[in-house]
Amino acid sequence: MAERVLMRNFDRASSHTLAVYREHGGYAGWDKARQMEPAALVEEVKQSNLRGLGGAGFPTGAKWSFIPKSHTGPVYLVVNADEGEPGTFKDRYLLEKDPHALIEGMLIAARAIRCALGFVYIRGEYVEPWRRFSAAVKEAYDAGLLGQGFDIVVHRGAGAYICGEETGLISSLEGKKGWPKVKPPFPAIKGAFAQPTIVNNVETLCCIPPIVTRGAAWFAGLGTKTQGGTRMYSVSGRVKRPAVYETSVSITLRQLIELAGGVSHSGRLKAVVPGGGSAPILTADEIDVVMDVDGLKSAGSMIGSAGVIVLDESASIPEALLVLARFYAHESCGQCTPCRESTGWIYKMVHRIVDGHGRKDDLDTIVDVARRGAGTTICAFYDGAVGPYISYIQKFRGEFEGLCRS
Amino acid sequence: MPKLTIDGKEIDVEAGTNLIEAARRLGIEVPHYCYHPGLSIAGQCRLCMVDIEKAPRPTIACNTQAVDGMVVHTQTDRVKETRRSMMEFHLINHPLDCPVCDQAGECWLQIYYMKHGLYEPRMTDEKVHKPKAVPLGPHVMLDAERCILCSRCVRFCDEITGTGELGIFNRADYSEIGLFPGHDLQNNYSGNVVDICPVGALTDRDFRFQVRVWYLDTTKSICPGCARGCNVDVHVNRKRPHHAGGRRVARLKPRFNAAVNAWWICDVGRYGFGDVDDETRMTRPQRRVEGQAVDTDWGEALGAVADALRRYSPEEIAILASPKQSNEDLFALKRLCEHRGIRQLAFRAPTPPAAAGDDFLLRADRHPNTRGAELLGLEGDVAGILSAAGAGRIKLLWVFEHDLLASGWPIAETTAALDRVETLVWSGANANATTARAHRVLPLAAWVERDGTFTNFLGRVQRFRAAVEPLGEALAGWDVVGRVMTALGAPAIGTRAEHWFRELSKSVAAFAGLTYQAIGDGGAMIAGAAPTTAPAPPGRRADAKVTA
Amino acid sequence: MTEAHGPAPASSRPPTEKRGLAEPATTFSSEQLAEVRRLQSLYPDRRGALLPVLHLAQETFGYVSLEVEEYVASLFDLSAAHVHEAVTFYTLFFQQPKGRHVIAVCHNLSCHLAGAPDILAHVKARLGIEPGETTEDGRVTFQAVECLCACEAAPMAQIDDRYELNLTREKVDRILEALR
Repeated sequence: MAERVLMRNFDRASSHTLAVYREHGGYAGWDKARQMEPAALVEEVKQSNLRGLGGAGFPTGAKWSFIPKSHTGPVYLVVNADEGEPGTFKDRYLLEKDPHALIEGMLIAARAIRCALGFVYIRGEYVEPWRRFSAAVKEAYDAGLLGQGFDIVVHRGAGAYICGEETGLISSLEGKKGWPKVKPPFPAIKGAFAQPTIVNNVETLCCIPPIVTRGAAWFAGLGTKTQGGTRMYSVSGRVKRPAVYETSVSITLRQLIELAGGVSHSGRLKAVVPGGGSAPILTADEIDVVMDVDGLKSAGSMIGSAGVIVLDESASIPEALLVLARFYAHESCGQCTPCRESTGWIYKMVHRIVDGHGRKDDLDTIVDVARRGAGTTICAFYDGAVGPYISYIQKFRGEFEGLCRS
Repeated sequence: MPKLTIDGKEIDVEAGTNLIEAARRLGIEVPHYCYHPGLSIAGQCRLCMVDIEKAPRPTIACNTQAVDGMVVHTQTDRVKETRRSMMEFHLINHPLDCPVCDQAGECWLQIYYMKHGLYEPRMTDEKVHKPKAVPLGPHVMLDAERCILCSRCVRFCDEITGTGELGIFNRADYSEIGLFPGHDLQNNYSGNVVDICPVGALTDRDFRFQVRVWYLDTTKSICPGCARGCNVDVHVNRKRPHHAGGRRVARLKPRFNAAVNAWWICDVGRYGFGDVDDETRMTRPQRRVEGQAVDTDWGEALGAVADALRRYSPEEIAILASPKQSNEDLFALKRLCEHRGIRQLAFRAPTPPAAAGDDFLLRADRHPNTRGAELLGLEGDVAGILSAAGAGRIKLLWVFEHDLLASGWPIAETTAALDRVETLVWSGANANATTARAHRVLPLAAWVERDGTFTNFLGRVQRFRAAVEPLGEALAGWDVVGRVMTALGAPAIGTRAEHWFRELSKSVAAFAGLTYQAIGDGGAMIAGAAPTTAPAPPGRRADAKVTA
Repeated sequence: MTEAHGPAPASSRPPTEKRGLAEPATTFSSEQLAEVRRLQSLYPDRRGALLPVLHLAQETFGYVSLEVEEYVASLFDLSAAHVHEAVTFYTLFFQQPKGRHVIAVCHNLSCHLAGAPDILAHVKARLGIEPGETTEDGRVTFQAVECLCACEAAPMAQIDDRYELNLTREKVDRILEALR
């Protein structure tokens, strides 16, 4: 649909090396950014309408501007490479195939927020991406790109989905359990090691060099009115060509599924998870939605990490809910009561239903408990669980009731 | 000072006050578990949510600081519904242990469920099972199933004692409080985690299965275990004497005093009340007849003591008061000595060798009223008195509380000195080796059996109160001395501890202007002494080891 | 009976009673200690190096025993309880000896839709153990794990450090064959 921006280097041999990156315009954005004032960089990113691509969709420029002007101590940039949202795999590609794009994005961001130290938190299971990225960091140090006012520390996680939540990530970076922090204070005010901190997703930062080299207006124009640019959609499940696809954020879900070859197995679409496992499910009638932040919000779902999972007619929705309910029960960090206690209980109920020992009352209980917990927790993890709990049961109630014995 | 409105009532508070505290000042209770004013904010239980105008959703009150113009509602339907939801979440995996749980009757799950829950339970699946009845050190019992994971105990060990023994392991609903496997909960403040645990997850091993809390009466008092005088509540079991092994005092709990001990008490003090009800308690006056102790009555006993005081010359009489005694007791002795011209009066027997203070509340001086004894002018030469006794120059030696044979002095010499005294009178609550050598034993009421005041090492005068009747015929020290003085023809001072204190404050400059009323429940400083605050907890000091 | 949720199964749960046989060496060499200090110096608060050091410990000692936890705690001036919190919280740290190889099969949504249950059953049948267990000969530890974020190549698994994609029963057989 649009030209490739984020995936522009992917098909080149040795795309991950500094030499190849530089050969094709790499670090030109950094050269330009060094001539710009931090405030001007923040403004450029604001104008680009870039919105966070890790899950929350928060306007990136606005986030950068939250660092208190009066702060004289250190400011930290933390890259969230703890990709873990079910159905999402785009950051893995970026880390392996274009690590220098991330480094360049970090350099520019660091200048914008006046930061001298950046951390890249890579999920522990991503061993190959970690090795690739660490090698790129070494190349950047050897070339004098890093260590001249900006340093990068690469930090491996150890297996916890909750470390993808920005303050859970910060806690983990600080050497603790990945427990999200009570807010306020927000990370831009008091984050990692008690200093102002900006946490950005890998893909979000990879957008920065093109924004600087080609301009905010260009980037904004690629997208919709409220979200600029392209993004990488991870498409998987019952499609013929599961892969990562980069398109303008103005694409519709229907178009995206077609791009991925259409529905596989039965060939008939039943439902789609549009934004990673935490997104409320959409039925086959709801796929003309525009896949940007506001488009999905209006449709009662969310774009999240843009992990698109397609379910065909032969897929069981109750089984899908069972898989996700187990996921949330396992990944709950346990810190606050509503999430800790009810993710486990709801998993037990869904399990009982799928096993044929459920009651219709259980369906009402699950939905009611989920509603009571939504919005009450320390972080949005539970709200992510609530997405599937409520939407799968509400939109496919018949399929669940069919399994219930009373 | 921000001014905010809660439930329609306005209040000014200091900047930085959170909404739970602001509401408390207005008499409005915001239910909560993980919040504790002495610990950092956790924000984990989610029970303290309130509605704040301009906030789209209910917000936790503990982590919200009062801001000028803030309007808070704690009784909206939404808040009530949220509280009901939070109670259900807390009880999903909670075991139905009430019938066997010591916390019943003072359990915040019970209390808040009755106030804010009252829903139809619908959890019919298997609850998560965790270890039960796990001893954590000598004083604390853990039941991990009952635990609501509020993390107060973990924060206590990190922030107050700085020892970091407790952690929350695993994650999700199999998260579990515990010690590092193989380690123990052995700091000197372990009992406090029982106080702050809102539920029956952490209970007192000493109190386990002893008596139901609704049978207990409570009296405000002062711990007599050291010179700090931590404020306590004495919990006594009067209603079910066949429970708790017949012990009248069931347990001690710390009482908040910002000037002395904040919310805490050390284990030495907390668990040191056993002697009040043990078999060494003296309950009747006794005299020695041919080496045997024979019971007698007060009339006979006091008559004999008064007689001895009259008979011997003042140079032949010595009195060893004790820094365990109250200001009133010591003042009575001072008056007696003045009346009779007795100069050999002292109080400092050495502390038993092993006693040491710690880095927080416990003082090396294990007596509650050393400062009182000093201020009342009872300083003397104990060694000189014992030496005179050994030389045969003391005919009447009246010893209060001390065990001179366990004070670090050479036993043979001290025994010989005591044995040379013609009339050795011993007064105290618990018999010891010295008691056994006395010709006359006068039983004294224990600290929980009488009123009085102690002066702590910083000069704070604090009231302790009678929680139970004296055992047997035991009397307060000032009462015994007062009756002896009456028998000697000295003017009567009074029949209550307060009478003696009034007289004391008139005569001793340091106590000028103090009354029981002025002392109240929080204590008052002696003349010229600066106001005090509880010491900084070890976990919060700049040089604290990183444990959190 | 719920699967793959609840307390970690015996092979990776910390022993709460007495420890077992004699433990292997549990201190770092001087080069490794230098690496620990270097890692600690990278963070504004040296505690930030805890996860990297625990990874180093696991690589060095094979797994993170209680002795290793106490040792690591001493390197950070942390209480052992707080190191234990981290080790029991994160799934990549093994608290018991693991097999020479680890096969972690994803059973999250896209892999489920692509046939993960069948792959799991196949591995179970071939190895004769349940997820969470290790083969008798100490060759392989088998795990069922949550999303590894390779959904485009479902069903898939992580074998030691690498991802094995687009699994079939035959591919699984070849992979297991090659694990010594």
